[in-house]
Amino acid sequence: MSHNRFMTSCRRCFSVRTIVDGWNPLDASEANTAPSGRDAFAEREELMRKRSVVYLAFAVVSLAFAFGATAHAQQLAKDQVINIAFDAGDLQTLDPHRAAATADRATVDMIFNGLVRYTPGNQVGVEPDLATSWKVSADKKVWTFALRKGVFFHPYPGNPNGYELTADDIVYSFKRAADSKRSAYAGEYTGMSFEAVDPFTVRITIEKPISETLFLAKVASYAGGMIVAKKAVEEKGDDWFKTNPIGTGPFKFDAYEPRQKTVLSGNPKYFRGAPELKTVAVRYIAAINSRELGLQSGELQIIEGLKEDKWVEKVAALPGITVKSFGPCESQVLLFNMAKPPFNDLRVRKAFSYAVSRESVAAFMGKGLAVPIYSPAQAPPAPGALTKEDAQRAGVVYEDNIAEAKKLLAEAGFPNGFRTEVIISEMASSYQKPMVAIQAQVKRAGIDMALKVVDHSSFHSLIREDASPIVYYSAWRPNVDAYLTRFYHSDSVVKTGKKADTNFSHYGAVGDTSVSNIDGLIEKARWELDADKQVALWKEAQVKLLKDVAVVPIIRLKYVFPMSAAVDLGHPLEFSWVTYSPQITEKTRLLAP
Amino acid sequence: MVSYAVRRILQSIPILFVVLTLVFLIARVLPGDPAVAALGDYASKDAVNALRERMGLNVPLWMQYVRFLADLCRGNLGTSMITHYPVAAQIQKALPYSLELTFSAIGFGFLIGIPLGIPAAVRRNSFVDYFNRVFSLMGLSVPAFYLGILLMLLFSIQLKWFPVVGGGELSNLSSNLRHLFLPALSLGLIMTAYVTRMTRSSLLNSLREDYIRTAHAKGLTARVVLFKHALRNALIPIVALGGVYAVVLIGSSVMTEIVFSRPGLGSLMVGAIKQRDYTTLQSVMVFYAVIVAVLNLMTDLVYELIDPRIQYR
Repeated sequence: MSHNRFMTSCRRCFSVRTIVDGWNPLDASEANTAPSGRDAFAEREELMRKRSVVYLAFAVVSLAFAFGATAHAQQLAKDQVINIAFDAGDLQTLDPHRAAATADRATVDMIFNGLVRYTPGNQVGVEPDLATSWKVSADKKVWTFALRKGVFFHPYPGNPNGYELTADDIVYSFKRAADSKRSAYAGEYTGMSFEAVDPFTVRITIEKPISETLFLAKVASYAGGMIVAKKAVEEKGDDWFKTNPIGTGPFKFDAYEPRQKTVLSGNPKYFRGAPELKTVAVRYIAAINSRELGLQSGELQIIEGLKEDKWVEKVAALPGITVKSFGPCESQVLLFNMAKPPFNDLRVRKAFSYAVSRESVAAFMGKGLAVPIYSPAQAPPAPGALTKEDAQRAGVVYEDNIAEAKKLLAEAGFPNGFRTEVIISEMASSYQKPMVAIQAQVKRAGIDMALKVVDHSSFHSLIREDASPIVYYSAWRPNVDAYLTRFYHSDSVVKTGKKADTNFSHYGAVGDTSVSNIDGLIEKARWELDADKQVALWKEAQVKLLKDVAVVPIIRLKYVFPMSAAVDLGHPLEFSWVTYSPQITEKTRLLAP
Repeated sequence: MVSYAVRRILQSIPILFVVLTLVFLIARVLPGDPAVAALGDYASKDAVNALRERMGLNVPLWMQYVRFLADLCRGNLGTSMITHYPVAAQIQKALPYSLELTFSAIGFGFLIGIPLGIPAAVRRNSFVDYFNRVFSLMGLSVPAFYLGILLMLLFSIQLKWFPVVGGGELSNLSSNLRHLFLPALSLGLIMTAYVTRMTRSSLLNSLREDYIRTAHAKGLTARVVLFKHALRNALIPIVALGGVYAVVLIGSSVMTEIVFSRPGLGSLMVGAIKQRDYTTLQSVMVFYAVIVAVLNLMTDLVYELIDPRIQYR
């Protein structure tokens, strides 16, 4: 328990105070007072002496406190305790098949494994995790995974030594992930069946084959791919599991204190070796000032920062603190509601796009944090993401040209511009701030865009009610297919789609057939087995979206996590998306100051 | 007095009923779906619907209301819709943190405020008076969380005396007090402002009374007149209003708890709002309403106890 360790160091500084008390100057002086006379001079002298003793005691106590603080850092390195603080009020769930919040994802990532995993710190390719090898049939329908032997689940009441992972757990786990009553990711596993061939071999059959890129993503150590302990879930139930997660990962769940922290401890039986860290405390601290001060005081070692360059500069200048900003980041795109005027007119959408300058938005957000993007789905370097060069080659970059914007508006019947009211989330860096920049830019073309700021939950509800003519959306999706399907397939149109989701532009459900045939393109790309051809199809779909200006891709914004210079993550932390935070692995450690 | 208390308790029942109905409605009028908040925007529609069902949100509003009332009548505060922790247990864990904060803030308020208020009244319109008035005006105007951050910068970052994060462990007294000091002081300074102003005006009033002139006339020293005759009477309204202050402080403590990341009732409530955790939010608000009602009742009763001129029938 990190807290206990912290307390030990505090107790030590208190013991210094006890020594001061043991010396007991106050008692001594009082012993002197009794016989002394009552004349004013003696009284004053007495008073002054008492005072100086009090001052001395005060000074010694303060020194003791100060000593306690420096000793604290050394103690942490000795005990290998990391406190990581997130912008959250509390945990929501530690059930990996439901966890979605940044803090919860980071926590379950330390507790669970998948059949394969993305390489820590550079999560582009996959490597073996619980599976040591795999092969796929010629028709790409049957995947067979050989499991690692000697992997043990964390202990839990009823199984105090844990138990060995077998194919049963894998099958149970995937069936659970595929059940929409128990998992948020059920949609990912439709048309898939799972069976245990023998205790250490699992066979997964998929009705419609997909490329390796898409398939391995489903069985990787992320969301629905995380493997839970069958026996623990069956014995204790799903509700228990929410705050008692049992997995095979480098850290095991120890304790949860509502609205304070979740404490994990190193799993000595971890199959990649016992972790360097003994304790990881995931803390829920919603106020940025408190996180910042906690980092400065040495109580926190890693904190979720603000995605603002001024703030980053300030924190980076603090002694003993380094700021890590890393990709791939969420993509921020601006989607037009093409079903309603004025944005049902291509000229108006194009005019709006011409009025926007990505470079200016990026500069406004901070050069080191924001990068302009041209892909309406995933941002590069994700495979299949449209790059700036791709977009330029296709001639679909409409930006930073006010004269052209005004001309198009006049053609569309708005020579004096128009007014529109847009609903936007209060969340500063991902929504409100970039929209304020865009608001000022489009004003130059005569577009008066009023922003109606609401809290984040309200924002998500309202835009799904089709209440805003423009939706500024900031998101990460694990692959281009997921992005295209859920934002641009006609089945995903908000409110009215067959599987109503986040197609805010109504793309594919409005206009002529050339617009609607995006569905075919997205599906063709999804079922394409050749990786290169798949990328080409994905890019074709993205170019089409840009040509119709259903969407204006704006920027991607890096994640910012300041940390103590003593933290050695054990990986490069360049491209990390499985958690939206620096991944803590068995190799992460604290260096002595 | 007993019949008065009983009557007051009976009177507060309809008020509480109105409060909990309002709380129930306000929680649901807020746009935002707890299931979406819990699962994130990537979750499939089916998963969101399944969770809504488990949360009991798919039944009509009146049914949810009836269930809520029925549970309350049985003394059941329900379980959190998000984490499935019993709300009563959560309140039980949070309450000591909030109580110790509120009471120590009141303590700070009296300890600092009364000594500040006395010279302000005695030397009215002097430098001391102006200084204290400006000081207490500042205390009333500065938001608690801002003051909290300033105190943290001085005592935690510069001097490294006190920790910044969390509420400490209740079982460990020294840890607990170290964590308590700064939030209690920042909230206490606000309280100090109230108490200083109250002390000053109350003492000014009693210094003008005839019995003070009499006391002076019969040759008592200024000190005895001030402390034994004037201050004693002046303190009656100040002490009696402790309950009212406590209510004010419970409101202000929400921000203080957030800034110092203390796991008290305030942060429980704000967390519940963020996550659209209706059950927790409702029950915590009802609990707050009960506390305020009880404190108000106690204030009235204490008044009668310490001031014989007041009698309730």
